[in-house]
Amino acid sequence: MDTVSPVKSLTRRISTTVAGVAGAVVLAGCAQNAPQDTWKPKGDNAQMIYSLDKLVFPIAGIVGVLVSALAGYIFVKFRDKGQAIPAQSHGKPIVEIVLTIVPALILTVVGVFTFRTIMDLAETQDTEMIINVTGQQWWWEYDYPAQADQGITQPIITSGQLVIPEDTNVLLRETSRDVIHSFWIPALNGKKDAVPGRIHLLRMQADQPGIYAGQCTEFCGLSHANMRMEAIALSKEDFAKWVANQQKAYTPPAEGTLAKEGETTFINQCSRCHQVNGIKDANGKAIISAPDENVYSGAAPNLTTLMTRNTFAGAMFDLVNQKCRADVWDAKSEEFGAKYLAGVSEDCLNEKNLRAWLRNAPAMKPMYADPAKLEKTNGLYRGMPNLGLTEDDIDKLVAYLLTLK
Amino acid sequence: MITPGSKYFLGLTGLGLVSAVLYCFLVNPSDLGAYALFGLFISAALIAGFSIFTSDGDTDSVAEAVEANTETTAPSFWPIVFALGGALTLLGIATNEIVFVLGLAVLVGGAVEWVIDDWAEKASADTEFNSFVRHRAIGALDYPGIAAVVLGVVAFLFSRIMLTVSKDEASIIFIIVSALIFVTGILLAAKPALRGKSTAIISVVGVLVLAVAGIASALNGERKELVKYAKEDPYSISHRECGKEAGEHYDHEANGSVSLRSGVVATIFVEDGKIRAQEVGLKRDVQAITIPRSNSTTILFRNLDSEEYRLVANLGEAKVGTTDVMEKVGTCTQLTGKNEEQALTVTIPKPSNPEAPYTLTVPGATGEIKVVVP
Ligand code: HEC
Ligand SMILES: [Cu+2]
Repeated sequence: MDTVSPVKSLTRRISTTVAGVAGAVVLAGCAQNAPQDTWKPKGDNAQMIYSLDKLVFPIAGIVGVLVSALAGYIFVKFRDKGQAIPAQSHGKPIVEIVLTIVPALILTVVGVFTFRTIMDLAETQDTEMIINVTGQQWWWEYDYPAQADQGITQPIITSGQLVIPEDTNVLLRETSRDVIHSFWIPALNGKKDAVPGRIHLLRMQADQPGIYAGQCTEFCGLSHANMRMEAIALSKEDFAKWVANQQKAYTPPAEGTLAKEGETTFINQCSRCHQVNGIKDANGKAIISAPDENVYSGAAPNLTTLMTRNTFAGAMFDLVNQKCRADVWDAKSEEFGAKYLAGVSEDCLNEKNLRAWLRNAPAMKPMYADPAKLEKTNGLYRGMPNLGLTEDDIDKLVAYLLTLK
Repeated sequence: MITPGSKYFLGLTGLGLVSAVLYCFLVNPSDLGAYALFGLFISAALIAGFSIFTSDGDTDSVAEAVEANTETTAPSFWPIVFALGGALTLLGIATNEIVFVLGLAVLVGGAVEWVIDDWAEKASADTEFNSFVRHRAIGALDYPGIAAVVLGVVAFLFSRIMLTVSKDEASIIFIIVSALIFVTGILLAAKPALRGKSTAIISVVGVLVLAVAGIASALNGERKELVKYAKEDPYSISHRECGKEAGEHYDHEANGSVSLRSGVVATIFVEDGKIRAQEVGLKRDVQAITIPRSNSTTILFRNLDSEEYRLVANLGEAKVGTTDVMEKVGTCTQLTGKNEEQALTVTIPKPSNPEAPYTLTVPGATGEIKVVVP
């Protein structure tokens, strides 16, 4: 009977595992639905990066394969088999010179193209619209300064989903309220860190209406993995509609409705952190929220037009149900705008997610929101705490939130 | 087979594994210590593996071969200096900027010396010639380098003393020290016999005194008037003095912000007695700037006129203490001369009211820039 030595079987097992993992990695490259694929550019800036990649990747790949193959060959061929040590010498000048000049030439070619792309990506002369982008644990806030030439007559503030007009050079001015985050919509441009106390500029341009996914790419604490964002590009007409809707005055729910009761609950439970522009207390006085007194970063999402977005809490959860989501994400470019602008209707609302969030937000998204552990932040939460609401409160709140559109 | 060279690393592998497991059970599996110990285990195992695989590089035969080809050279202490520099740099990052700069200097100096040393060792087969070449190459750098370091340390320590003592004491110290240097200089010039040992003693004593006094002063902190307004909160102190005249109350901290240049959201200019504003990323003038709520934001002020001006941020009103009296709040830069710049850092926790927005004004100049906080 033939015996298999234990060393051999171990080697075999390891090589099988390695091969399996490598195979899985290769297969993952074939994913059909990969919205964050950098090699599917959907705008000018991403296209510049892609063009550079097309040059650099083959060069780097060939060099990488050659060097590893050569190193592997030498490693095996000249391994210690008890042979005598050959004579030692100080190398061959011709080999050294060639091996210095060839990489230098390759790097020069790569360098020239890379620098050119970097410079092009830093260009701000052609900016048509600016948007302030502020990161905090663990969501992005977008505010649009008034820009009459772009139809924005009053400032707009929103979160999670960045809405931009198609084929327009938008300049994001990124900063952060707490730690370093990084903004990345792979289909539209590379990443740019958002650093507290600094303003970093990032160009955004989308060729066509559509929804482009992204995520925070700088580790920023507990829920870094749950910090996402989407860029929504709309046709110019649709963008104008979106702007008009964001700027319209607040209409309180009709007296006697469940939503009206929800407004009262909202004022009592949520207004200390969340701003709803135009909301007034029982005496008719405008309510100004105070997130700076409750949240570590000093901000909580503005909920004035919550139901015009279709994801929430750092674009992590769907605010619309499966069917309506597919409707928007899979829409053709021409139909996308109308579908997105429809917002979240009662039929489309993903009640399960929203209710779970209101019932216990930290259970859905890990956050530093345990009142017993807030010494380090002077009692301020990072994220939204569990407010201990009753199901009754939640019914009312959901009815009210649905009116914020 | 266990080779002699792998023994040590095998031992380390075992130790790493045992201590990592113990650490996980006794302390905390998810903290840094556990990762470090597992890291030790894995890296030691890797090296042990290499060592076994290459039969320790068969030390005997390698040693012979090397012996035949190289001449022994004097041990160099630059690698140690280099390592010290590395350690100081890391320490500096965690603690103190000065330690960091010092570490960086040691690191770079050590690296240069080491490289030159190494190069000189191989310059020829003649050790004597090699040491001569080394001297040629680096001698011109050694002395100025050392002198620069010594002078830098002296200047730094002296500045610490000067920042601690009051203005009057500072003048007296300056007079005494410069008189001493002067007298010593004359003495040394007149009596060459005094040079040598006594000069060395005086220098050493002088540096020691300076070091002790400098460190003590640094620990003692800067004198009061320098730190008085450094941490002023625009919401707790009203700035009635933000007018046309020079005043004591202004944002002293802003110009020291680390991020000054790249952190500026907008630049406010005064030109021909009028205010105008430019926002970062936009090439045209704007009437209003928009800044995020509750976030520290820097605005740059640039005076293009010959008259002196200051930028004032009017940030609405707040209650005075616990009373119901409302008072204006805001902050301002110091007066700024022609073609000079100053920065103003503000954090505005409340959104602006469309009817009564926050504004930036310049007393004595016309116009205002609205500050919108959505
Ligand atoms: C202590 C402050 C605080 C209170 C009180 C609070 N929230 Fe929040 N809320 C937050 C923070 C912070 C976030 C952002 C969390 C994240 O995305 O990681 C948030 C996120 C949300 C979101 C998602 C918004 C978006 O655009 O992504 C909704 C909806 C929401 N809260 C509803 C409510 C409601 C309704 C109440 C009252 C019952 C409430 N919150 C009370 C702090 C608070
Ligand atoms: Cu982040």
